[in-house]
Amino acid sequence: MGEANEKAAQNTQEGNWDDYIKAYYEKPASFKSWSGYDLKEIYKPGDRPEENYEQNIADAGTYPYTRGIHSNMFRGRLWTKREVVGIGSPADTHERLKYLSQHGGSGLNTIADVTYEMGLDADHPWAVDEVGLTGVNITSIKDMETLTKDIPLDRVSWSLITASTASSVTMAQYVAVAQNAGYDVGILRGSIQNDPIHFRYCGFGPACPLDLSIKLGSDVMEYCTKNLPKWYYTTVNMYDLREQGITAPQEVGYGFGIAMCYIDELIRRGLDIDEFAPRFTFYVSCHVDIFEEVAKIRAARRMWARLMKEKYGAKNPKSMQFRFAVHTSGCSLVPQQPFNNMTRIAYQALAAVLGGVQSLHCCSYDEPMCLPTEKAHLQALRTQQILAYETGVTNVADPLGGSYYVESLTDKIEEEAFKVMKEVEDVGGMEEAIRTEWLDRQFESEAVQRQKELDNGGKLVVGVNVFTTEQEKTTPLGVQKISSKSAKQQVEAVRTLKQSRDTDRLNDAIKRLRDDTNDSKNVIPAMIEATRASGTTGELLGTVREVFGYPYDPMETIKSPFNF
Amino acid sequence: MATKKKIKVLVTKVGLDGHDRGAKVVSSLLKEAGMEVIYLGMFQRPEGIVKAAIDEDVDVIGLSYLSGEHLIFTPKIVEEMKKNSVDDVLLLAGGTFPAEDIPTMEEMGIDKVFRAGSLTASIVDYIKTNVEE
Repeated sequence: MGEANEKAAQNTQEGNWDDYIKAYYEKPASFKSWSGYDLKEIYKPGDRPEENYEQNIADAGTYPYTRGIHSNMFRGRLWTKREVVGIGSPADTHERLKYLSQHGGSGLNTIADVTYEMGLDADHPWAVDEVGLTGVNITSIKDMETLTKDIPLDRVSWSLITASTASSVTMAQYVAVAQNAGYDVGILRGSIQNDPIHFRYCGFGPACPLDLSIKLGSDVMEYCTKNLPKWYYTTVNMYDLREQGITAPQEVGYGFGIAMCYIDELIRRGLDIDEFAPRFTFYVSCHVDIFEEVAKIRAARRMWARLMKEKYGAKNPKSMQFRFAVHTSGCSLVPQQPFNNMTRIAYQALAAVLGGVQSLHCCSYDEPMCLPTEKAHLQALRTQQILAYETGVTNVADPLGGSYYVESLTDKIEEEAFKVMKEVEDVGGMEEAIRTEWLDRQFESEAVQRQKELDNGGKLVVGVNVFTTEQEKTTPLGVQKISSKSAKQQVEAVRTLKQSRDTDRLNDAIKRLRDDTNDSKNVIPAMIEATRASGTTGELLGTVREVFGYPYDPMETIKSPFNF
Repeated sequence: MATKKKIKVLVTKVGLDGHDRGAKVVSSLLKEAGMEVIYLGMFQRPEGIVKAAIDEDVDVIGLSYLSGEHLIFTPKIVEEMKKNSVDDVLLLAGGTFPAEDIPTMEEMGIDKVFRAGSLTASIVDYIKTNVEE
């Protein structure tokens, strides 16, 4: 070791001691919530208007449900421990589902890949490279059979994460498989994401034109209302909106705006609010500011209850209950010092549970690197189990209720979320905000703001702009690889299926689907029939798209194979 | 003092992946740093990207990846650049991928990889240093 090096080492050491001593006297750099609200050093009784407990807060299980939708919350039933799975082929995904179910998962949860969400068959020229990379593609009834093989559909609860207009096909495929297996579809239990309106903001614009999104989204909701009474037919995705970089009240305000687009459409169709609203659900983000996230959830519950009762005239308490699943915040996780993500996820999951969540997905620590490995997936599930079985958070409903701080913050988020809803109203309502790209602009400016906060240290993220270390060379628990072999097999299987179908039966089913779309009927029954006739995702959606005046293929590469 | 030509950057995504928050944010911040940015957006194919890079005479191509498609599309873009003798353009990639893939991406022909969590200054400095040299 040369003299220069020795001196450098000594300097570093001296520097370290300086930092160490400085750290002893350190104060937090900011006293703002994640969404940017100035906070007081302590909250006291006088900080809120004199409390009308019964009117504004009330016991859990009582309108306006600020404290939770069930009177005894987790004593009655734990939240559903539902880890998202979507990996390679339907068979690969099935394997991972089984693995998690054997380790204490309590709800099945599968996610579509980009090709399926775009409404492309696995053999589509744009799809062949990317099938299975970020989820699973279900092209035909055969794939849905593989995915659901040996699983008792009459007893499990299955969450199907397809959000785009392809949700309509997913629903048809699931029902078709259940029917073929001899189940009464009325007993199917679970949910489908089915929120095509929001999905244009996740890069699926070509698959989610606004009119078609409202049409197909609402068709699924209406069909399930009439035929699958135990099914939650939408999970309006506030989570994906939040992941754009927006604040907690914006998440609520924009999410409710989109939810109302569907509700207004169902009412236009002649459904009574209390006929369908009891099965309406939401997907919520939990970011890393624990108290703000709990306040957000409590505010959302109170706002939703009042909205349903006062604006829509709901009478059934179930219509007024804000039911939600939480996905911990993927965008809060970073690849730098990746084990730290486990800690972030645990805090976020804690916020979800303190907020009274119905169903929870914990991200895996490797989310900012790759799809979860089996070990990472299991660790995420274990995070939920530690919360559920070790920490005691399940004992008492709404444990933060009555906290001067959390009640004040709940009021604040509510007030701000109403402002957001008013802004949307002022630009002409949510549909207009989408059409004019007003909403796009809000997302973009917020996202830039978030990056600037990282750049200038306004928000600290360990490993990113504070306590940084050299970049890791490896991923601690290994990397999940997607088998290109099984993807190729799926593509081949789809090609074979298309050669071996009963074309008369298929053509009749496609004709009916086209006619029903033309006649403004609900298309789900025709989609089920077409699925049972081995019609594929791309074919079903393409047929409906053409009637609406859109290209058969969202990527405008292939033409409809149906020449009649 | 001679007026310096603005650095021209093309930012794009390849294939079906629609996670475009990062690409848009980087575009916006490179503009603020004084560069000219052409944002091609989503759903691009390798041929189209390289053609746009030639037509627009850019100094830098920035690829944004999230869905595990980086090892599939990077070689296709590099091949397309070679085919068209595009050898004076800096090729950058940013987004979400495992650390293990970074050396592979560099071997494939990416000049520099920026992972999620990169600060804007690190990208701006790299571009300014390597384009001006």
